[in-house]
Amino acid sequence: MKFKVKFYPENKEIEAEQGKSVLAAAISAGLHINSSCGGDGVCGRCKVIIRKGTVHTQPSGRISAEEKAKGYYLACLSTVESDLEVEVPPESKIDLDKISDEEAYLSRLKGIFTESVEIDKAETIIGEELFLHSPLASKIFLELPKPDLEDKISDLERVYREIRKKENLPIMQMGLSNVRRLGNLLRSSDWKITVTLGKRNDTVEVVLVEPGDTQDRSFGFAFDIGTTTISGELINLNTKKILSAKATFNKQASFGSDIITRIIFAHEQDGLERLHHAVIDGMNAMIREMVAENNIDLNDVTCCLCAGNTTMIHLLLKVDPSFIRREPYVPTANFVPVVRASEAGIKINPRGLLACVPGVSGYVGGDITAGVLASGISDAEELSILIDIGTNGEIVLGNKDWLIGCAASAGPAFEGSGVVCGMRATKGAIQRFEIDPKNLKVNYVTIGEVLPIGICGSGYIDIISELLKTHIIDKNGKINTSINDSRIRQGEFGKEFVLVDKKDTGHKQDIVITEMDLDNLKRAKAAIFSATSALVKHLNLSFEDVRKIYIAGGFGTYLDIEKAITIGLLPDLPRKKFVFIGNSSLAGAREILLSVDAFRRADQIAKKTTYFELSVEPGYMDEYVAALFFPHTDKERFPSVIK
Amino acid sequence: MAVEFLKMKWANAINEVVIGATKQDGGSRSSVIKVGGQTTLPYLSDEGSIPNPPVIAYEIWDATPGDWSEVLKEPFGNCLGKPVEWAKKCVNEFKADLLCLRLMGAHSDYGNNSAEKEAEVVKDILKAVDKPLIIIGCGDDEKDNLVLPKCAEAAKGERCLIGSALQDNYKTLAASCLADGHNIIAESPIDINIAKQLNILISDMGLSQDRIVINPTIGALGYGLEYAYSIMERGRLSALNGDKMLAMPYVCFVGYESWRAKEAKALEKEFPEWGNEKDRGIAWEMVTATALLQAGADILVMRHPKAVGEVQKTINKLLEK
Repeated sequence: MKFKVKFYPENKEIEAEQGKSVLAAAISAGLHINSSCGGDGVCGRCKVIIRKGTVHTQPSGRISAEEKAKGYYLACLSTVESDLEVEVPPESKIDLDKISDEEAYLSRLKGIFTESVEIDKAETIIGEELFLHSPLASKIFLELPKPDLEDKISDLERVYREIRKKENLPIMQMGLSNVRRLGNLLRSSDWKITVTLGKRNDTVEVVLVEPGDTQDRSFGFAFDIGTTTISGELINLNTKKILSAKATFNKQASFGSDIITRIIFAHEQDGLERLHHAVIDGMNAMIREMVAENNIDLNDVTCCLCAGNTTMIHLLLKVDPSFIRREPYVPTANFVPVVRASEAGIKINPRGLLACVPGVSGYVGGDITAGVLASGISDAEELSILIDIGTNGEIVLGNKDWLIGCAASAGPAFEGSGVVCGMRATKGAIQRFEIDPKNLKVNYVTIGEVLPIGICGSGYIDIISELLKTHIIDKNGKINTSINDSRIRQGEFGKEFVLVDKKDTGHKQDIVITEMDLDNLKRAKAAIFSATSALVKHLNLSFEDVRKIYIAGGFGTYLDIEKAITIGLLPDLPRKKFVFIGNSSLAGAREILLSVDAFRRADQIAKKTTYFELSVEPGYMDEYVAALFFPHTDKERFPSVIK
Repeated sequence: MAVEFLKMKWANAINEVVIGATKQDGGSRSSVIKVGGQTTLPYLSDEGSIPNPPVIAYEIWDATPGDWSEVLKEPFGNCLGKPVEWAKKCVNEFKADLLCLRLMGAHSDYGNNSAEKEAEVVKDILKAVDKPLIIIGCGDDEKDNLVLPKCAEAAKGERCLIGSALQDNYKTLAASCLADGHNIIAESPIDINIAKQLNILISDMGLSQDRIVINPTIGALGYGLEYAYSIMERGRLSALNGDKMLAMPYVCFVGYESWRAKEAKALEKEFPEWGNEKDRGIAWEMVTATALLQAGADILVMRHPKAVGEVQKTINKLLEK
């Protein structure tokens, strides 16, 4: 049975099946409602007001009594049961026009970890309130008592004494250049100064001394340095607020799309230098833009915290990564000391600090440590899995007592690279896709609701699932040429299916998916699935023993778990076990930037995680080939997909 | 006290595939060949039934083989290059129950015959002999996609076994077999997963599972025989344990693989210590075939009559109760 659902203030009306969620109805009406948790009823961001009509809803702690009285409901938990009039309050809308393209990609990230979420303890994704607010670098304003004949300790000791009056801090250090300036600076500023204290592992350094009170100007950057994508956030270290978020392709990709080819390239003439510059140039450009957009002085940016896979961190620091590739695959450093950002070529305050999240091994890096921290799997009693879907897919399994992780080379297809019409999850990317099985008409939603110009990872997952459903491709990912449809054709790169005709696209070119794309995507999903299943098998466990599966990765604002299972990327388990957490590496990096406590926790996580080497696991290759099929060679493993 | 033997009970049977059609079934064969149907591992007849013994098919060509050794050519004399004569010789003289026609003549190295011409060959052979027929393409995907449908059409109603469908090229042949009532050979590169995937893909097209025969790809003795052996064994174990998508009989191209081996072809004057080539190639084919029987082969496609005779004796002995 169908009902009319009208949305205000847009005045958009659509027909929706009885039982469809209001959130899904809003999406088909082309409205973007905030939903960080992807419709799990956890984040409480999709509040709507039901003006007229009946919905069925589930109780949720996200709606206060006051809101309830006003008619607020969570759109994701409420289903259409009659004709409806729905008001979408401004706070529930994702206004894609007001934020930059890059921010659209990251918009969901802003919501997840900054607000505490009071949910069942075991399910908690760690919120920042668990960690003491103590950023990597913090500013303190000091009004020093002027020295006299009674109190004549030296200027430096006077500064230390004043700091210790305010904070109980361990050994302090100050660089010679600051010491040299100190005498004059104190006197010319009438003994009113602001010091920036940088935490360098177990010591504290007075990084900066500035005249007057600059306490309120304290900023830092958190970065996730991925093999394919670099994402960053500018953060106000006092308020913990994220001022901007951006993402860019890692320019190193022109020297090879995967880690191994980069390591090999590092050995060519000037290779290491070029790779190093490719990454820091990208980061510096992002820093410049974000600082300019927020009218911030670069000198007020005093620290930068990076999470990345081990190779990316080596290249960032211009450390030769070649030993990672050679047996026994030992990196130069997993626990990188806090250094001066300028030493690595990162352009913030010249005396600002650069810290890297500690890694586990050559192939399970700090990005995963950060992800574990952010997802909270290392705090739960029961077993959880974190799957980070990137160029290098990483999987961590464990609980508060133990953690084990492995890495699988998935390739960059789900990040929109290495596929003909692929793009990052930014404005114009198709992220939802449907094909009507009756007439093969397509229906899609792009990020930013503009004409499509490409396809992002979550779009590809939808597309494969729909192509399978309509038998346009077979279970091996080959296009069925016996269907008489002009959209199935021989293209420049072999057989292809035209998803969107050029007259309907933003760049006036056809958007297609080729058999080669399908092959790359199939390999990527097979690598992720087989690594996860090999890891679980290795521990003599089954997926049923796992309570939660956190999915991280550079997908857009959306990932359809159902469709990810349909294509065999994720195991066929009750859907409520899955939590899509977006870029968990970046979220973890931000936590660590904002709290020395979190940094210590990351250290512990990295130390206690066991690295599991898939390449020597007998049977892994077999698992992989078995997964090179949609959804899988053993259909018994996907009972809900193959009915 | 007598020792009681532990007996394994399997959950699933291998599909029985029928090759050939008699007049009754709308064909013109004098008899049919049934393969598969067993509910136990090879020759463990105590644990289950083995309704159909493994069969041997004689490989014949529609062209003159260019790379066959003298020892291998000798028994066929002047029939080489004359497919009808060759087929008759195998049936009448060597008592073949099953023939495997390789349409090498379609290959650009062997005359590049048209699909129509190859279809005539098939028709002629079906007319000349009344034994069931296996038809194999020349190995060039593009050409096979032209030739095999024509041949399938020409043999319509005769319930042949036609190959090979590959993971990346199965649709044309599967559609033909479906339309013209034949069985299909699904070939995978010594990989149990791909074997299964291909069976699923073919089944998805509507061809029933009891019309599929797996060619697992084998290696001859000294050329990967043990890989083929273990893959076949694993597949069979999975099938008997209940995996329906692997429960197909196996066809093994023993002759093709064995006679490619250097040890089978090389002359005594080149390697005196290897002994007389007259026996060596035959022995190579025999040993390869015998090992694969143990791995679960249901159809052996072989070349030399002497090797065929010896392997047939082994089969008979293995099946003795």
